[in-house]
Amino acid sequence: MRYQVVIAGFGGQGSVFLVKILALCAGNKNVACLGTENHGMSQRGGAVSCTIKLGDYSNPIIDPSQADLLIGLEKNEALRNINYLKPSGTLAVNAEDSFPKDDVSAKVIQIDAFTKAKNREFPIQGLNVYMLGVVLAKCEDFPFTLEDVKEALVQFNPKVAQENIEVLEKAIEDIKGK
Amino acid sequence: MKQTLMGNDAIALGMIHSNIDMVSGYPGTPSSEILTNVQKLKAQLKLDLYAQWATNEKVGFEVAYAGAIAGRRAAATMKQVGLNVASDPLMSAAYIGNLGAFVLIVADDPGFHSSQTEQDSRVFAKFAKIPVLDPATPQDAYDFVSLAVDISEKFQTPTMLRPVMRVCHARQIVEVKENHEFNPKKGKFQREISRWAAVPRAGRLRQGYEMIDRINAIKEYNWEELIKPEFEACKGGKLLVLTSGTGYGFAKEALEDLGIKADIVKFKMPYPLPENKIREQFANYEHILVVEEPMACIEEQIMASNVHGRLDNTMNVIDELQKIYIQDALTKLGLYKGENLYPSIPFKDEIPARPPNLCPGCPHRDVYYSIMKVFKKKKSIYPSDIGCYTLAINQEAIDTVLCMGASVSMASGFSIADPEKYTVATIGDSTFFHGGIPPLINAVYQKHKFLLVILDNSVVAMTGRQKPPQRQNGEVDIVKIAEGCGAETYEYVYSNDLNDTISFFKKMKEKYENATGPIVAVVREFCVLDKEVVGQHIHGEFAKVIAEECVACDHCTTIYKCPPMGYNEEGKVEIDPFLCIGCGSCLNVVCPTEAFTVDEERSK
Ligand code: SF4
Ligand code: SF4
Repeated sequence: MRYQVVIAGFGGQGSVFLVKILALCAGNKNVACLGTENHGMSQRGGAVSCTIKLGDYSNPIIDPSQADLLIGLEKNEALRNINYLKPSGTLAVNAEDSFPKDDVSAKVIQIDAFTKAKNREFPIQGLNVYMLGVVLAKCEDFPFTLEDVKEALVQFNPKVAQENIEVLEKAIEDIKGK
Repeated sequence: MKQTLMGNDAIALGMIHSNIDMVSGYPGTPSSEILTNVQKLKAQLKLDLYAQWATNEKVGFEVAYAGAIAGRRAAATMKQVGLNVASDPLMSAAYIGNLGAFVLIVADDPGFHSSQTEQDSRVFAKFAKIPVLDPATPQDAYDFVSLAVDISEKFQTPTMLRPVMRVCHARQIVEVKENHEFNPKKGKFQREISRWAAVPRAGRLRQGYEMIDRINAIKEYNWEELIKPEFEACKGGKLLVLTSGTGYGFAKEALEDLGIKADIVKFKMPYPLPENKIREQFANYEHILVVEEPMACIEEQIMASNVHGRLDNTMNVIDELQKIYIQDALTKLGLYKGENLYPSIPFKDEIPARPPNLCPGCPHRDVYYSIMKVFKKKKSIYPSDIGCYTLAINQEAIDTVLCMGASVSMASGFSIADPEKYTVATIGDSTFFHGGIPPLINAVYQKHKFLLVILDNSVVAMTGRQKPPQRQNGEVDIVKIAEGCGAETYEYVYSNDLNDTISFFKKMKEKYENATGPIVAVVREFCVLDKEVVGQHIHGEFAKVIAEECVACDHCTTIYKCPPMGYNEEGKVEIDPFLCIGCGSCLNVVCPTEAFTVDEERSK
């Protein structure tokens, strides 16, 4: 298997956490993985993009036009990283309805998670997990199942796993109607 | 046993599994988590070892190196710019060598992700004449620690491990030793004055010759143990790629993507190379391409007419590697004629930049705001230093940044060069300990007149909140240090009321007028990410903007610049509820029309 994921957001949104969860999923399924994360500016509101390559790779960086999936935790960060996505890839993005879908050649799965968080439908700290739920529900070639991700969440931190799993399930519920 | 690890975790575990029991260093991205992880492992596994932050890299190097002289297995950790600070002991240690193991771990940052320069520590190893290992992945990083220990003990030389950011912060499933029994060595210093205290010229000259012999023996070892098996697997043909570290991953994937067959030889130890034995292999190929980062370390050692790389502009000459650079190089050599596999097509419209900014609620913001308000932009020079507070550059409150501690020495220089202006220097607590004290002493005895503001948040916030010396116990006190240096010193305990901070700096300005040498203001702060203390300081006083009062003067968005403040579609400032942490600092002074008010509902 070969599958490349870019996660784009800004400081404090938890892109790094998602990479850790996907790496755990890979480990549990005995799939090789190689990822990279940006530190330093990551907590001070700067743009943060992380990558994870699943399968037989020898270099953690994803090149332009190579990613299968881009998870955009915020609209502008998604667009800033759009050049990494294959034309046949998938973009899962947190954005309002004005998102310029038609200007993106990849398949776009869009949901306005900020508004849902503002309405207290789920805790804002769970935005990253919420977007992963969206991916699980709508991205057909995504290599992990809901069960895989749940297992990794428990493994990572059993104390908050239940909360995260609820966010995950809420996202799946929300996006199904769309 | 398999574990999913980040490169820096893998290095820390590799150290424990190699029985390294003295570790010292100074934090710096991308190296910081190495020592932090050793400390975690120490606590988890209840290990008997020394793992502590030093006041700077030179000190860290020397503490650990003494351990290695006394026969223990020791390591020092730092980032590439930190090695500049530790280069003084390194150059001598390379002559003298060690009895136990001394592993010098230096993390490089090709692509300037969080550094002032892109220097290549492998070239530094070559300059110092010590062997260097260059891991490509977290797995390599783990394995190479024990290889470095072996080499260091076998040849009695400091040995460098040089991971780059994409190894330190890469994550991979790593095969690690199971059930390791930690077995540290006892140190036993053996007096040998002619070795450990060799003075010029006779002593050092002999050691110099020994160093040359040692490096030649290591070349031999590098060939026999590490390189020969690689060449034995080669087939010959059009292209040979020579590489080390992350260059290997880029080259291997690019060749696969482009469908080009070539032999790849990965040097685990890119210096010292047995250059002649390597050149003998060149006859089997038309072209040799060197893929390495960030500088031409391998290429310089093995130069020949059919070798291409950075020196002849076949590869990129600066910045992090990308596969497209390899594609371009192969195109230049006539080996690739296909389409561009890595076209970068950015989004058609411009996307607003998102520069990093001081966190909402960070006391630094108020301090800089107050300094600017009191000392004025045009009338003053503002040298600053390395740390989170450098982000006040967004508030235009910083004029110069050079290297650790330079704010103080440059303040001296500016006060001499342009005495008509006020010189107000800013430095963090950890940076002051690192490199700020000697220049302060210099300024006092030479009577340079400036204001030095020490922003004491008692944490190394930039690199992940390591604890600085004054935090461990009450014994180190910045106020006393500054007084001890002979500077007129004032202390201010930060308050969320901006009026207080402004009055303090007004007082500092009066003192400045009458001063005859440097004055120091120690501002006691905190970091909002510091969980142990933040609760005492942030009380949940949230701000909102009364839309009718906002005249869109830009004051809060450009001069105060707290991230939650931004214009809404009606052209009025609004406070983003996701970002505001409720520090209340902006409420009294920031807005000239007093449009900011307490958001009673949220502040409850
Ligand atoms: S990490 Fe701490 S010191 Fe750095 S900007 Fe944020 S609050 Fe300020
Ligand atoms: S209260 Fe004001 S200064 Fe404090 S974090 Fe919120 S917006 Fe920033």
